[in-house]
Amino acid sequence: MPRTATGRRRLLTLVLAVVLLILLLPYLWLILTSLKTRNDIFSGNVFSAFAPTLDNFRVAFLQKGFARNLLNSAIVATTAMSIAMAVGVPAGYALSRNVTRSSTVLLFVMLAARLMPVVVLAVPLFVIMANLGLVGTYAGPVVAHLTFLVPFVVWMMRGFFLAVPKELDEAALMDGATRARYFFTLLLPMTRGPLAATAIFALINSWNEFLYGLILTNKSTATLPVATPSLMTPIGTFWGQIAAVGVVTTLPVLVFALLVQRHIVRGMTGGALSDG
Amino acid sequence: MTTSSGTALGVLATSGRWRRPRRVSPWLPFLAPAVVVLLVVGVVPLVTALQMSFTSFSYVLPGRTGQWVGTDNYASLLGNEAFLGAIVRTAVFTFSAVLLELTVGLLLATGLNATGRERGPLLGLLIIPMILTPVIVGLMFNFALNPQFGPIASIIRGASGSSVDVLGSPVGAFVALILADVWQWSSFMALMLWAGMQALPASPLEAAQVDGATTLQRLRLIVVPMLRPVIVVAVIFRSAEAVREFDKVFVLTGGGPGSASEVLDLFTYRVAFVNWDMSLASAMGIVEFAVALVAAYVFFRLVTRGGREA
Repeated sequence: MPRTATGRRRLLTLVLAVVLLILLLPYLWLILTSLKTRNDIFSGNVFSAFAPTLDNFRVAFLQKGFARNLLNSAIVATTAMSIAMAVGVPAGYALSRNVTRSSTVLLFVMLAARLMPVVVLAVPLFVIMANLGLVGTYAGPVVAHLTFLVPFVVWMMRGFFLAVPKELDEAALMDGATRARYFFTLLLPMTRGPLAATAIFALINSWNEFLYGLILTNKSTATLPVATPSLMTPIGTFWGQIAAVGVVTTLPVLVFALLVQRHIVRGMTGGALSDG
Repeated sequence: MTTSSGTALGVLATSGRWRRPRRVSPWLPFLAPAVVVLLVVGVVPLVTALQMSFTSFSYVLPGRTGQWVGTDNYASLLGNEAFLGAIVRTAVFTFSAVLLELTVGLLLATGLNATGRERGPLLGLLIIPMILTPVIVGLMFNFALNPQFGPIASIIRGASGSSVDVLGSPVGAFVALILADVWQWSSFMALMLWAGMQALPASPLEAAQVDGATTLQRLRLIVVPMLRPVIVVAVIFRSAEAVREFDKVFVLTGGGPGSASEVLDLFTYRVAFVNWDMSLASAMGIVEFAVALVAAYVFFRLVTRGGREA
């Protein structure tokens, strides 16, 4: 009896794995396409044998300047993430401990900012940035990304700090440490894992962002998602190069995401839900 | 701590002095940086949008220098068929996509819940679609549906016997947009529901199994009702995301053919950055902001129910 139950479970796992792999076929196609020549892409069968080549990567990143966009994406994402962590982590701690009416209002404001349609802020941000002469600089996307990264870091870290018993705070404060000293020398080192997970999700969110980047950057500061559609031109679409850029855009995200898989539900809901 | 009469005068009368001397909260240094940043990057633009929505301002349209026009922009939205059309399309898109994601997610979660410890690699596969860059997902489906050499298009061709330009037909483009969203977000729904299922008590399910209920009956009569709070939260969250769909539609259909798949945020984007009517776009943004605020409030009450996390 237990053996058949185990057998059934294994069979079910196998079936689910096959279903998921079929669902992931479009992504597999994308990866294969990035390795094909133009002729191989246009010649019918997707899975027929072909001689893999790195030409698409070479042309896109070295000749068409996508290396620059890759660098732009990295600069914007790390800068926005660092600022969001610096201001968001202490706030997340404060909001996990201090339950007053104003802190509840603040928490709500943060969630509303997270759920706000991007265009609502994109239009005025463009006007403000244009007045300051900052359209086309890194300041544009960094400032814009802070609108969702700060609330994200606050909610995410608040959830993790809620799990740290208050008694620990009290014990440290009773021993004469100041709140700040306790926070920096005890609490932060203790929550290294959650801090890393939050930072990674913040990076991913900034990296994947499109609309703010589209409006606030120019040719030399465009991030990867913003620059990619430029490969669809009136004289034809360079599918091989789009696929190559797509692979380079998504692979780092995949690797990072697998590292923080455990916290994915929390991460994808902006920290509003725990991982169960 | 609280006194029977709520007013400041009442407090003075009963205690003879202010109830609590004002002093700086020890939390201020922790909160202030985040509040300042949010004021600068969030509140300033919102106030700017509100102010612009009562003026007439454009970078290119002649005679629109930011003069005060009162509620004209809002009034013109009411009769703006393109705006109302975009709202209807956004509603249909959100409803269909989230409903399908819920259905597929529930099936995947049920399957996942019935597997054992060997499910580890499954979870790894499951998280792939939801963390892929949405623009790349849109381009990927654009490629897959290309009538000449797209793999999905060739499957459709094999099944129907004729070449089909899915993205060239109004219905096809809209359905493709929905399915691309379902592809990307069903696994997110599955993960959330599965996390909820893990927390359910086992006894009602075991009792039902003893009584001979089928898997489907157990799902419909026991799991779904018990999972309701999780489902509500997941649906609201996904809906808030789907309503502001922009990236995939921008590269997959561009809102076309015609305006067949032009959802709200794409329409607003065009009003602002193709027609350069910043004021009208601001008014649309403020309307959307008001709706988003209501949704956020409902969501907030659900996830902080009773002061504890869901």
